Amino acid sequence: MQTFHICYRNTQGTLMRILNAASRRALDLPVVQAEPAEHDHQVTLALDVNQKQVGQLCREWYAIGDVIKVRSGAGHASAWSGPHPPAGVAMEESRAAARA
Amino acid sequence: MLKGADIVLQCLRAEGVELVFGYPGGAIMPLYDALEGSGVRHILTRHEQGAVFAAEGYARVTGEVGVAMATSGPGATNLVTGIADAKMDSVPLVCITGQVRSALIGTDAFQETDVIGVTLSLTKWSRLVRTIDEIPEAIAEGFYWARSGRPGPVVIDIPTDMLKAKKEFSGPVKFTPHARPADAKAQGGFTDTIVALLQQSSKPVALVGAGAKLSGAIPELRRLLDHLHVPTFATVHGLGAVPPQAPYYLGMVGMHGTRAANMALHETDLLMVFGARLDDRVTGDPTRFAPHAKIVHFEIDPAQLDRVRPCDFPVIGNLADTIPAFQAELRRHSLPDFSSWRAVACGAERAELDPRGLAQPTIRFLDELFSRLPQDSVVLADVGQHQMWAAQRYRSSSPRGFITSGGLGAMGFALPAAVGVQLAKPNTCVLCVSGDGGFQMNIQELATVRRLGLPVKMVIIDNKYLGMVRQWQQLFYQRNYAETDLSDNPDFVEIAKAYKIHSFRLNEDALREFPVSKQTGDEIDRFLRSPEPELLVFDCAPEANVFPMVPAGAALSEMLLEEEPTQ
Repeated sequence: MQTFHICYRNTQGTLMRILNAASRRALDLPVVQAEPAEHDHQVTLALDVNQKQVGQLCREWYAIGDVIKVRSGAGHASAWSGPHPPAGVAMEESRAAARA
Repeated sequence: MLKGADIVLQCLRAEGVELVFGYPGGAIMPLYDALEGSGVRHILTRHEQGAVFAAEGYARVTGEVGVAMATSGPGATNLVTGIADAKMDSVPLVCITGQVRSALIGTDAFQETDVIGVTLSLTKWSRLVRTIDEIPEAIAEGFYWARSGRPGPVVIDIPTDMLKAKKEFSGPVKFTPHARPADAKAQGGFTDTIVALLQQSSKPVALVGAGAKLSGAIPELRRLLDHLHVPTFATVHGLGAVPPQAPYYLGMVGMHGTRAANMALHETDLLMVFGARLDDRVTGDPTRFAPHAKIVHFEIDPAQLDRVRPCDFPVIGNLADTIPAFQAELRRHSLPDFSSWRAVACGAERAELDPRGLAQPTIRFLDELFSRLPQDSVVLADVGQHQMWAAQRYRSSSPRGFITSGGLGAMGFALPAAVGVQLAKPNTCVLCVSGDGGFQMNIQELATVRRLGLPVKMVIIDNKYLGMVRQWQQLFYQRNYAETDLSDNPDFVEIAKAYKIHSFRLNEDALREFPVSKQTGDEIDRFLRSPEPELLVFDCAPEANVFPMVPAGAALSEMLLEEEPTQ
């Protein structure tokens, strides 16, 4: 189970779009906690996902206009050097791997 | 003091909208009441699906935002297929729907549907307007999201009382998006990585998709491809981006792509993807797609990366920016000699199976039509066998010259979309090719064509079957033609006449000669050059199939080149 923390501006429909990114992949949503956080809002989701789905979900969440930041639980946060990495691989690693 | 409806129309004008497509109804009536004198021309279709497909056709051919309007409830839900189509094919689309009055929302009122909820996963953005004050901002923001990044559809749902309400209006507003931390762009150093990959490769190829057209970077792309001179192919939405006469161009790739393109893609050791999302129609079995290749993926929408097959190196950004940067770096380096690879990939042994004049009659008919089209014509194809044949035989180098519902594959798309295309390009020959199944799905739009006098050239490839489904039933379901028999089609010529549209029939026997007879040639020429709307019904054999074909779950290298005995 992976935990995701998504910061977003609480505009109309944004939370629903965040949840829909998971539900359209037939993922259960056993834990959903949304609350104000600092200047915006944050929703915490626990999802049973594989590595590929982590990348897909994060990229889909970032495609939502009012999503500000996506953080994952342990094991993935350090692998990202930006908001849109390839699945589970940092940009420098990607560059090096591509040239290997 | 202005009504909300007037504010909507003024804001649309401020966004550059001159044309909207729609169908009136109860909840949206105040908006229709305000049309006269607004400067916005409304095109009445005969079904809301016709309106949204027409708006899409307009948007696809111009690159501008298409606008469709419908009332609440069934009017809004009739837009859904078009919204999904725009989402899949990256079409900038704004749909404005009426909604029941605010006090009734959520009560299952007459003609109430939660259109925002229904379309949540199909839209880039949507808004249920709650007050008249929100209208200008909603329209400005809606247009921003429809146009920006990867274009797509938005829905703005406006309760009828908000359209009737009044306020002092100071004018349309501009939407400024919030800054987002590190919206990823291609980071420094990406160009030298790709050059290094090219220098290490011996069988590089290039795949061009819709993004090449959407970015407006066609000239830059063509210069790059001329420089690279590697085997190149296109998705169905990339057709026209590469001039077909380019010696390195291999045509369409994928499920019904050319043999040469599919083989090159299977053998390559470096695949450079320009604005294509590597859809499953292109990849075949993703686990065996480009099995020997490293993939460099130029893409504006990060959500499209790694969907079907992981890429080795993403280049995130607009092709208008990333291609020039790449080419500038390329000029500083020498590349290996790819001529022997090019000779194999582009060689005569892998050439088309059906050169002109030797193919089956329907393909010959399309060849004849396409060869006689005026310059800069626009061809639309509906969905089915005719679509794939048209894509395979299309030879124009006009980037927005071939229009079809690719990602969604929505039958009934072409005729209403042709309405939008013809209105956008009044002096252009617009050829609309449909099957007998798809044509009937929005046949009511013949009335729109007639009322407006649009000189659309409509062709029905009439094999009296739901052809593509029948092909799959023949090849994979032991010829069990369940529910694909359309042998009781109406007489389309008589239907066209009832709509006061000239129509005639051509039989495939007329195409058995090559070159075609002067009489047949003259008939086709007259059809294409008529200043009036015309319908040509092409009667053809029921069991012709589209080849090559990559069966579902197969690799591109396992394409069928001809019919094989069914298992």
